[in-house]
Amino acid sequence: MAVSSGLLVGSLASCGTGLAVYKTDTAGNQVKVPATLFANNDFQVIQPQNMYYNIGLKKEKDGTYTALLLRCTHADNQLTPTGNGFKCTLHGSTFDNEGQVTAGPAERPLKKYRTEVISDQIVIHLS
Amino acid sequence: MKLKTFTLSIAFLLTAVSAFAQKNINATSEDSLNNNLSKSATTIGGYGNAFYQRNNNLGTSSIDLQRFVIFTGHKFNDQISVFSELEVEDAKVTGGESGGEVSIEQAYLKFNLNPNQYLVAGLIIPRIGILNENHLPNTFNGNERNYVETFIIPTTWRELGVGLFGNINGLPLNYSAGIMNGLSSATFEHGAGLESGKFEGKNATANNLAITASLQYYQGNFKAQVSGYYGGTVGVSKRKADSLGLASGIFAAPVALAEGDIQYESHGFALRALATFVSIPNAASINRAYASNTPQTEFGAYAELGYDLLYNSTRPGKKQFIVFVRDERFNMNATIPSNGVIDGTLNQNHIVAGFTYLPIRNVAIKADVRFIHTGNQNPELVTNPNPVALPYQVNNNLVDLGVAFSF
Repeated sequence: MAVSSGLLVGSLASCGTGLAVYKTDTAGNQVKVPATLFANNDFQVIQPQNMYYNIGLKKEKDGTYTALLLRCTHADNQLTPTGNGFKCTLHGSTFDNEGQVTAGPAERPLKKYRTEVISDQIVIHLS
Repeated sequence: MKLKTFTLSIAFLLTAVSAFAQKNINATSEDSLNNNLSKSATTIGGYGNAFYQRNNNLGTSSIDLQRFVIFTGHKFNDQISVFSELEVEDAKVTGGESGGEVSIEQAYLKFNLNPNQYLVAGLIIPRIGILNENHLPNTFNGNERNYVETFIIPTTWRELGVGLFGNINGLPLNYSAGIMNGLSSATFEHGAGLESGKFEGKNATANNLAITASLQYYQGNFKAQVSGYYGGTVGVSKRKADSLGLASGIFAAPVALAEGDIQYESHGFALRALATFVSIPNAASINRAYASNTPQTEFGAYAELGYDLLYNSTRPGKKQFIVFVRDERFNMNATIPSNGVIDGTLNQNHIVAGFTYLPIRNVAIKADVRFIHTGNQNPELVTNPNPVALPYQVNNNLVDLGVAFSF
């Protein structure tokens, strides 16, 4: 199922698991995601091409979006979405959906990217 | 068979490296993007634990800095990193004296293939059980690691090899697969389990190999895992194996291990349970060659329930005071071959109860008591009794008090 310039794959959004993955391009240090992805979902995993980490994109209650780099702040390992947070299998750190540490050894929260909505596109600024 | 397996191994490596090389070429065109993320970085971490232990049967007490581990990692770029852990056990190693150990617990290169997959190569830790991969002492209850994942699954189990770790887009599944050097049946010792056959990166034989794989399912606060290991234990030459009456080849005199575990957390409660089974079908041949009284099968299982008394009184994830109880059962000679001798003391049940207080997540103060019950001693195995030794007692208890940390 193609959506805009990206591709929605393996979505289990209808099951409420929040594990839908959206593959997309990057351009000019930006990732663009159609806001329509959040019609029935408040969380989406974004997989920008040629990046080695996913981005967790969450729609907040006030309509803004929070973009979290899914990279463990302990040893930079990729994180696995678990439905209600993120887990690092390397040393066992866990983070909640806000990016806050819920189990160590990580001590710092996940990196957040600035986001803005322009013409029904959510723009994630990778800087 | 040997040639076929070797060819498959090489094909696996070449495919993996080829995939990585392809990705590497693609990525160079995206430097402007990756520059935002690809800062080289060296990471230092570590963990350690020390505890006092009172053995009530022996009337002895001891206190020991059991482990002090320094973790160092370096990220060359977003694709390639190196990780290592240097471990000192019992604080001090002195030449000519027993006790203490200095070892490399992990040392591997990590190649990120994409956001979902990475390869590791070097001294790697396979995903078998819970503690083998995640063994930071502030993340488990009790001063000692559970005995099932010590004597049946020989945590921390590391060998030289290559591993692939990944997860599947859109599905809450993680997987791993690896190939590494096998165990050595020549060093199997009675009562020591698979631990005695490990090489841990030191001059391992590579005539024999092992494969391992795991599958994890995550959903919210629930995790389930199954994993397996299958490897040969005869690393000597064919000529020597023939003279010992052992088969030779990559998977000769194999060890097979299967494991399954679950973990669940909710409202301050935490449950974890694990079961594992080991099969050594050619144990009789190993015993004939090395007289090690190697068993044919072993099994172990435990279940633990914990509750954080501070879960409702403070913000979750901050201070924790966990009370727990754990039931561990294992038998290191569940069945023996015709030339084996049964040892009832290797059939054990432990009840462990205590608390873990974490003033912050990465620091733990622990206290526990371990009630041990074993089968009877077999007089046939008491070949040189100490004249002042106490009679064997099937019941004992250990009282532990200690501290642990990780960073």
